[in-house]
Amino acid sequence: MRTKQVLSLFMLVGGVGLLVAALAVGGAASGTLRPGSAEALKGGTLRLVEANSDLDYVDPGLAYRTDDWTMLYAVQMLLVNFPEKSGTAGSQLYPEAATAFPTVSKDGKTYTFHIRPGLKFSDGSPVTAAAFQRAWERNLSPKMGSPLGVNDGFQYVIQGAQDFLAGKAQHISGITAKGLTLTFHLTKPNPTFVSYLSMQWFGAVKPNMPYSSSGLQTFPSAGPYYISSRTPGRSTVLKRNPYYKGSRPANPDQITFQPDVDQDQALLQTKAGEIDLDIGTVPPTAAADLGSQYGINKGRFFVGSTSCVSYLTLNTARPPFNDTTLRKSVNYAIDRPALLRVLGKYAGKRTDQVLVPGIPGYQPYNIYAIAGANVPKAKQVGGSAIGSAATINVVHANTPSQTNRAQIIEYNLKQAGYNATDVSTPATTYYETIGTKGTTYGVALAGWCADYFDPYDYINVLLDGRSIQQTNNVDLAFFDNAALNKQMDAAADLSGDARAAAYAKLDKEIMQKYAPWVPYYIASNRYFVSSRVKNWIYSSYLGEPYINALSVG
Amino acid sequence: MARFIVRRIFWAIFLFFVATIVTYLIFWVIPADPARLAAGKAASTADIERVRHYLHLDRPIWWQYLFFLKNLVLHQSLGRSFVNRQPVRYLIGQDAPVTASLVIGAAIFWLSLSIPIGVLSALRPRSVLDRLSMTFVLVGISAHPVWIGLILSYVFGYKLHLTPIAGYCNFFPGTPGAECEGPIAWAYHMVLPWITFMILYMALYVRLVRASVMDTVNEDYVRTARAKGASETRVMLQHVLRNCLLPVITIFGMDLGLALGGAVFTETIFNLPGLGHEVIQAYGNDDLPMITGIVVFATVCIIVANLIVDIAYGLVDPRIKTR
Repeated sequence: MRTKQVLSLFMLVGGVGLLVAALAVGGAASGTLRPGSAEALKGGTLRLVEANSDLDYVDPGLAYRTDDWTMLYAVQMLLVNFPEKSGTAGSQLYPEAATAFPTVSKDGKTYTFHIRPGLKFSDGSPVTAAAFQRAWERNLSPKMGSPLGVNDGFQYVIQGAQDFLAGKAQHISGITAKGLTLTFHLTKPNPTFVSYLSMQWFGAVKPNMPYSSSGLQTFPSAGPYYISSRTPGRSTVLKRNPYYKGSRPANPDQITFQPDVDQDQALLQTKAGEIDLDIGTVPPTAAADLGSQYGINKGRFFVGSTSCVSYLTLNTARPPFNDTTLRKSVNYAIDRPALLRVLGKYAGKRTDQVLVPGIPGYQPYNIYAIAGANVPKAKQVGGSAIGSAATINVVHANTPSQTNRAQIIEYNLKQAGYNATDVSTPATTYYETIGTKGTTYGVALAGWCADYFDPYDYINVLLDGRSIQQTNNVDLAFFDNAALNKQMDAAADLSGDARAAAYAKLDKEIMQKYAPWVPYYIASNRYFVSSRVKNWIYSSYLGEPYINALSVG
Repeated sequence: MARFIVRRIFWAIFLFFVATIVTYLIFWVIPADPARLAAGKAASTADIERVRHYLHLDRPIWWQYLFFLKNLVLHQSLGRSFVNRQPVRYLIGQDAPVTASLVIGAAIFWLSLSIPIGVLSALRPRSVLDRLSMTFVLVGISAHPVWIGLILSYVFGYKLHLTPIAGYCNFFPGTPGAECEGPIAWAYHMVLPWITFMILYMALYVRLVRASVMDTVNEDYVRTARAKGASETRVMLQHVLRNCLLPVITIFGMDLGLALGGAVFTETIFNLPGLGHEVIQAYGNDDLPMITGIVVFATVCIIVANLIVDIAYGLVDPRIKTR
């Protein structure tokens, strides 16, 4: 019996010993993983993670998501770009690879850029006009299978692009590249064109960068960094471009990115200094504690506004919201602060506008009840039409956040005298459901973030009724007003201050006279950084910090 | 014996078809449109149709399934992910070692600990050790791995700084851009995942071993062995342990195959880029090729493991192969 016990104890000790050994050797190894303490502005490795998500592509011909573009911003050189500055200054385009803004022909259809001499890719080869020509061709090539450029209608913007997209031409005839001179021939005047060029799809790529329908993982680039390695689902590593001589910051020696981490664990790791930043933002429930513990924008916890407007879209194609007075009434009935509170503290700023701060033409106004529901006013505006209004289907995705908000909306509508019912839809088919012509929703939750910093990307894209198609609409309100459509066309043809003024007028007129939406908040992103991160500069365009500017020295 | 093996192989192939067909059918009835997701937020109807054609989603399901089989058999291809267009085989090849690290490492620990604890508990029933081990069994079976993992990482990782809170390091050095790699860093990062993963299994195995040993020590052949003058070591090793471990080995083979389900929780909590973690992401993105690929891989693993067990049993126990 004694032998049995000795044998068993031996095995038990062996098992425990294995665990202890792993801990012991691990403890010794941990010293190499601790963050450094040097105070230098440059140097070190910035360790980024993203909760519950991964970059889908880093190939600029395919990348589209915000996180893709955050990475690409650090590696790309664009003809025109946004500077690494916070606030409004950060939303003013400047010529980056171009020597100046383009010269535009009298008919407004030819844009000519001159590329700065001496620019180089990370492999040492020169950046010429052909680099930007290739970027456009990779975006529109049928060999890439990219839906992106096509989605924004770029094939209609440049002469010869439709033939190229259809595989009928080797090159886009409307783009000519000679040495350092790049010329675009547009199909019609387009004041938004320069804004298009600020998108990451159109950064310099090597003129021989191959077409790849699955996207390249690494490639030479001309910005402050280049992607030195990438394994989808595992890691992406950016290293400083040794040939970059521009003025943009390139503070960390290296930037590492790990995707698909757990959000709560990432917060814990950031507090402990194991990682530096979760670019997927902090857990909503942690925001209040972080704010009170570290303060807002005081070194560790940051809140930054985005270009994303969240709104309730009202189905103007069917009763009851084909009646303008009821749409206005609902704008008074909805409790905007309550909808925002569901998303945790510092989730955004209340609004009743289509445009967001930073977009040319944004002028703050306050027409409806942004301080809370104004039920008497809602009843007064709606009048007797409320009582006879058809039951409103409040359609939402079956996520906890949307379900909570839908319940508030339903309550607000009933408070104002409407009949409303909550309709839950699978998240995967939500936009398909509300974006199909003939849909029976009354109120639905929606949101929009800018692809480029121009009011056209909000007002014309989302509210021009001529874009309504059978399925997959972005004009989710099915709002179609001939007079407004004309005004949108006119505003789109303007430039400079006149353009901004025209869009400001449209923004107000749409909400004041027609109210196809109930805009309720402009989203903010909430970030928490490790104690060694400095030099936080936030881009409200990207909705992310400029990672190349962050310092871990 | 040859007939037995051939029969088992045919059975394995049949299971493979059933598993993959069911996966395809489930995906077909889920109300999701991967083409729309891939096409982007402002895609026109024509764009979505173009993407649908590109992804072969405009073909009938039977055609898609046969296309999948053809690629699998002729090109050993599991297709490409809808999300990032990477080959599924490559992604699985990258994830499988991580899951194997978790499952095999944890299995070594749970066997190393549960067998001696189970034996000691059986030899001293109702002793302090036995009562403690049974309490552990109760907690181990009742507590969810997510809760256990979060508590462990908070206490040992965040508060005591004894282990990393989360993360993974490759066993083999040479990963570009890796912040940590090599066997030591790998083991250090795997300690908490191993413990989290093994607790449930260890609890089950302690109970299994305890019950098995308690039955075996009272068998006639054990008494006979002692009567013949065999030493206690010999009795324990040759007669008790050898016999009571047979059910443990059987269950162990099945558990290794089923471990992917448990790995989902542990990999998620500790940010381990394994198959369980991957399948969660793929589900969220309606990534049919990725889900099908993982199902195929897991199915093949389970089928092969069971085939080996069946054949081994056939070799060991003549009664089985004659059935």
